[in-house]
Amino acid sequence: MSRPGFVLEVDERTPPLLLHSGESFRLQEFPLGSRVVYPPESLPGVPDVDEEIERALLNPIDSEPLPSLLRPGMRLTIAFDDLSLPLPPMRKPDIRQRIIEHVLEYAAQAGVDDVQLIAANALHRRMTADELKAIVGERVFRSFYPDNLVNFDAEDRANLTHLGMTEQNEDVEISKRAAESDLLVYVNVNLVAMDGGWKSTAIGLASYKSLRHHHNSHTMVHSRSFMDRHKSQLHSSAWRMGRVLGEHVKVFQIETTLNNDAFPSQYGFLTKREWEWSLRDQATYLGAKRGLDLLPAKQRRRMFQAMEAPYQVTGVSAGAVEPVHEETLARVHRQQLVEVNGQSDVVVYGLPYLCPYNVNSVMNPILAACLGLGYFFNMYVGQPLVRQGGAVILNHPVPWEFSTLHHPSYVDFFEEVLSVSTDPKVIEQKFEEQYATDPWYIHLYRTSYAYHGVHPFYMWYWCAHALDHVGDVIWVGGDRRAVARMGMRSASTFADALEMASDTVGRSPSITYMHSPPHALAHVT
Amino acid sequence: MSLSNDVRQLARGFRWSHRPLPPKSAEPHHTFPPPTEFPTDWARSRPARVAREAILRGGLAPVVRHETTLRVEGLDVFDGLRGPVIFVANHSSHLDTALLLTTLPVEWQRRTAVGAAADYFFDAWWRAVGSALIFSTFPIERGGVGLSETPTRLLSEGWSLLIFPEGTRSPDGWTRRFRLGAPYLAAMAGVPVVPVGLVGSYAAMPRGRNWPKPGRPEVHVRYGRPLHKAHDEETRAFGARINTAVATLLDEDRSNWYGARLRAATGTTPAPSGPPVANWRRVWESSASPTSRRRAKAWR
Repeated sequence: MSRPGFVLEVDERTPPLLLHSGESFRLQEFPLGSRVVYPPESLPGVPDVDEEIERALLNPIDSEPLPSLLRPGMRLTIAFDDLSLPLPPMRKPDIRQRIIEHVLEYAAQAGVDDVQLIAANALHRRMTADELKAIVGERVFRSFYPDNLVNFDAEDRANLTHLGMTEQNEDVEISKRAAESDLLVYVNVNLVAMDGGWKSTAIGLASYKSLRHHHNSHTMVHSRSFMDRHKSQLHSSAWRMGRVLGEHVKVFQIETTLNNDAFPSQYGFLTKREWEWSLRDQATYLGAKRGLDLLPAKQRRRMFQAMEAPYQVTGVSAGAVEPVHEETLARVHRQQLVEVNGQSDVVVYGLPYLCPYNVNSVMNPILAACLGLGYFFNMYVGQPLVRQGGAVILNHPVPWEFSTLHHPSYVDFFEEVLSVSTDPKVIEQKFEEQYATDPWYIHLYRTSYAYHGVHPFYMWYWCAHALDHVGDVIWVGGDRRAVARMGMRSASTFADALEMASDTVGRSPSITYMHSPPHALAHVT
Repeated sequence: MSLSNDVRQLARGFRWSHRPLPPKSAEPHHTFPPPTEFPTDWARSRPARVAREAILRGGLAPVVRHETTLRVEGLDVFDGLRGPVIFVANHSSHLDTALLLTTLPVEWQRRTAVGAAADYFFDAWWRAVGSALIFSTFPIERGGVGLSETPTRLLSEGWSLLIFPEGTRSPDGWTRRFRLGAPYLAAMAGVPVVPVGLVGSYAAMPRGRNWPKPGRPEVHVRYGRPLHKAHDEETRAFGARINTAVATLLDEDRSNWYGARLRAATGTTPAPSGPPVANWRRVWESSASPTSRRRAKAWR
């Protein structure tokens, strides 16, 4: 039986605790009395995934069964989440492949000829053929690529359609093919509570014109948190847009949830509680750590990026978007929610090697900041783990390193924009439009594998809530120049970081360490 | 970081026993089935009673009287009293049980069983057998497990019980909160409670010692009038009355009978839990033998 997550209080018996730090990890001793939030252990997966998919498709929530929605001569579009989910990528077969195959089986039986599959990557980079194949599987890839298995192109004006405005004057502009289909089936992977719902279609298939209404500093500051849909302005906006979309096209949403098996069995120590490490776990840790320290950076990255998670599916729900998403959220909470009593002065995160935007790529400083202050900081419902004006200590090397293939606009953003200001509001007013409409960035986004020109701005806006809330951000082991460019400070050791934070939180602060990944969602009361 | 540092850190989490030692806050919550009670009925059999009497009167009593300066007051409460009763005393030393059993009138001592912590006195067979034989102990679970049937049964069979309601020996010599087991049992069985005040045993043989201090320290055993639970009295209120009776006995030992009665009548009996001062001062005061409080004699 899986044990629930819990909050550990560090005492004399507590061994040093595992802390991720980019493409490495280490053991860290925490001061006595520190709290450590441990995620729940992995829930068991459903015994038969195919049976679960069939059950969901044939007994959808608030919708007719999928076969009755399919007919000859119809336009069927199947959209699916891109490679930013799940993290790490899932061991084959990907759950999206299995679901898409089931949907296509029904479509073939119904004689549907006009089928298109669209990766809902919004302003993310296009996926390569291999990356697409890894998600949809060989059969689907061979049947539909390249003509009818495509990446969404948010800059292809001819293939976008403006569906109207929400009641708050937000443009709803999305993929023309999706909007004009007789049925839009969306296949989602709900790794964390932020994913899914109307965010899948209304954001994943939208253009910059639509996205700018919620991907801005004001909305991000008032999304508290991204993981709490009802208190997230980002999600409220997406829900308004989704309802406009729902007036134009029938959406059949299929959402899936995964358990916490984020690391392969050979890295089992990464998901175990340290005092339960066996001799073998300790030896594996030592071998892995020393081996990683010796490996050249390139090989180390390759090794990490090749890691595939043995996730198991904990459930599949299908039908109308909103009730499906509620069911999904309940499952995500069952897997990730941990009750935490009260805030602390300092919160500590160990940032791993991967975030949604550096799959098969480099985690540059902006992505590292987004992972720590955008994603990890927002892994709460209720209130943040750290009090207003407290300190965040992040562990990551923050290398001054960029992929010019995937993140060309990030390079300029880091050099030109952050050197002028780190205030999300100022940056938005002064620079966003210029980057969003830059023809070179648009060209690279459409024809190469580059994230959109405006994407680094969005990453910085993700940090806006944390930057607004906390008084100090300190990186342990971070490249000093890169960290300083982002307006933050770097410390050599955890002890130094606490010393530096004493200006903000005093000499004996309360400390909470979020022991993640695997994911934990703190319900802070 | 060097390899040696990595190994050193790992070693902190290593357990030779292969059994994990989880941090306290990570210990799983278990609801244990009620433990099997160590059988002690044999200790109330005739041969055991004979052996116990020989040990207590022939061995323990002389040792107690040799190693301490014993003063016993209030034995007149037994005049006309019919058992069984529950003796309730403050508890600060392993000496307490011996003091009580060796100072009880012999006919009461023969029919008195002592409640002893199951996790302490009954964790090893040799300790369980020894304490049951010498003191006629029966096990009491301290961990919130439901009340055993043994004490009620013993009362119904005519055995008096000696219970220390603090649950454990006082760490500083002062009395701690009385639990409600004794008044509850007394109410259930309809028997009186005899309060007993023990003074000086902490100074004579505190925690950590297994023999009285040299110099024959003075110890006092003071028996009080039996208390009966009133019909409409709640168990909690009866418990408070027992607590006050023990406090009054301790006060009486420090002053005199009438002064203690006056203070009891006005509710100004000094709290047996001691003054709210620094811990060392509490220990300092209670570790002074009652002898030293008395005025030195002018002529010896």
